[in-house]
Amino acid sequence: MFSLLIKSMRSRIIPTSLVTISLMASMVLLLSIERIQQGTEEGFNQSISGVDAIIGPRSSSLELVLYTVFHLGRPTNNITTKTIDDIKLRNDISWLVPIALGDSHRGFRVVATEPNYFDHIKYGKNQALTFLKGVAFSELSEAVLGSNVAEKLNYSVGSGLQITHGSVESLGIKHDDFSFKVTGVLNKTGTPIDQAVFLDLKGYELLHLGWKSGKKVFSLDDIDLSVLPDDALQPKTVTAAFIGLKSKLTLFNFSKSIREYPKEAISAVIPGIALSELWSIVGLVDKGFELLTWIIIAISLIAMVTLIIASLDNRNQEMTIYRANGASPKFLATMVIYESLVIGLVAIIGAIILVTIVTYFATNQLNLALGISPSFKWISLEEIKVFSLILFAGVLSSLIPAAMVFRKNLHQTLS
Amino acid sequence: MLKTLGLEYHYRDGKKIIFPEIEVGKGERLLIRGFSGCGKTTLLSLIAGALKLQNGDIKFDGNEYSKMSSLLLDKFRADHIGYIFQTLNLIPFLSVSENIALGIKFSKSRKSKVNDFNQEIVRLVSSLGLGKEVLKTPVNRLSVGQQQRVAVARALLGKPDLILADEPTSALDSGTTKKFLNEVMETFDSTRQAIIMVSHDTSIAPYFDSVIDFNSNNV
Repeated sequence: MFSLLIKSMRSRIIPTSLVTISLMASMVLLLSIERIQQGTEEGFNQSISGVDAIIGPRSSSLELVLYTVFHLGRPTNNITTKTIDDIKLRNDISWLVPIALGDSHRGFRVVATEPNYFDHIKYGKNQALTFLKGVAFSELSEAVLGSNVAEKLNYSVGSGLQITHGSVESLGIKHDDFSFKVTGVLNKTGTPIDQAVFLDLKGYELLHLGWKSGKKVFSLDDIDLSVLPDDALQPKTVTAAFIGLKSKLTLFNFSKSIREYPKEAISAVIPGIALSELWSIVGLVDKGFELLTWIIIAISLIAMVTLIIASLDNRNQEMTIYRANGASPKFLATMVIYESLVIGLVAIIGAIILVTIVTYFATNQLNLALGISPSFKWISLEEIKVFSLILFAGVLSSLIPAAMVFRKNLHQTLS
Repeated sequence: MLKTLGLEYHYRDGKKIIFPEIEVGKGERLLIRGFSGCGKTTLLSLIAGALKLQNGDIKFDGNEYSKMSSLLLDKFRADHIGYIFQTLNLIPFLSVSENIALGIKFSKSRKSKVNDFNQEIVRLVSSLGLGKEVLKTPVNRLSVGQQQRVAVARALLGKPDLILADEPTSALDSGTTKKFLNEVMETFDSTRQAIIMVSHDTSIAPYFDSVIDFNSNNV
């Protein structure tokens, strides 16, 4: 039956392949949306690990996480070092890493922090940061590079770099009065860490010594750095601080007491909770897209059934000849059902191949845009379920033309 | 071998046909003559078991159609009957030999009677006056006469007991008809199959053992 079916379908190749393509395209759409969403979520969730809370100025918790972890957006406010020092004294804290953000180097964000950043900040499933080359900075004139930065700019240990004020290269003024020397390059993590330049907080403070409210007042060239008192480089404010607690059980008490901190309006954000907030927003948009795609799939299936029904008139002679040679109406109806099965299977196989290609490029784009790299996969169990559902719906709807063929041929003379 | 008993057929539009009694023995040739619309095609479809019986019965080698399911009748047709249409006998997207192979596609018993398929179709085709090159010609490039011969080859493949032919010569001119029937009947003689042919053409009567006129029974 299959060789007859394939030859018959081949004789109607143009309409048949158009319907197959439309079905394939709608499935590609559905799966791409689903995969990109899953990939983004996975990538985001794996971008930070081992951090129990992020302390920052009181603002939207999502904003704080997006800014401090993903380097997206702008800081709203800063938090004073005095407050940070106060919190450091709490005995439920295991470690604290302050960070200051705002500057960049050739489009890559600068993260000013302390050397213990590399000990405490983890990614993925609690994986520690490791050095591809060199070591962490120990002097205020030293810098560490994320792997993409080193790769793209062709830097290595010993390279010198200057920092631009602000996050956009072309708009910011260069801190051209001071250069940093690279002491280490981190291994690839597939997180925004790969796209960052790390400096010592004191070095960062030094850069801004001559600056008052976003404007340069004097150049470092005009002063003698060797006579600067040590506490002149102690930062007055930072953007945020990453916190590790001794026990996770104290997390909610901790965040409550931070919120009630009397001297400054600050808050403690739990990264996982803030991210799930993000997914509930993204998820809503995503559900809308998904619904639309299901509608498109339904339309494609209707188009397929319409095509099969429309072709029946032209196939009358073909069917009668089969019938005269002993084919039962059941055989003819089965042939119609198999035709929808063949269209469905070809569309599915094509969709898998296309989606794989799309996912591959989308993964690269996500990596470029957000610094996250979701794991690449062929096909998931969930997707097989979706495909089976579509195939089942296709076969189910082909029962209409199949029944038409069956009834017609049961009561038709051979002519 | 085949006998009809009190066959009647009511059409949906209210027309009713009472068919003459037919009896055909093994290897016998019967011509049913009648004008278009007299129910000849309906009669052949009933004998083929493709159309459900309404009144009356058909007996074929001891099998009573009225007692067989439509699925069983389809199988019976595949095994015992070859069918030739008036025109458009061939499926355009199949090759000539694939078209001929349809004759045994649905019947195990007919398939088992063909030892060497390729050899058998060459034999059939050449005994019907066609050259071997026809097998390689696309179906839509065959003349009507060639197409009808291919249809005969399909009906004869695997030696079914009965051939039903529905005005197979109506699309041929009188000269071609004569040549066609000569070749077909010669092939039939050697295979000893029964044939029931319906036609409005009175000139072909000499090729048959018996002739039934079927014009006066319409109600």
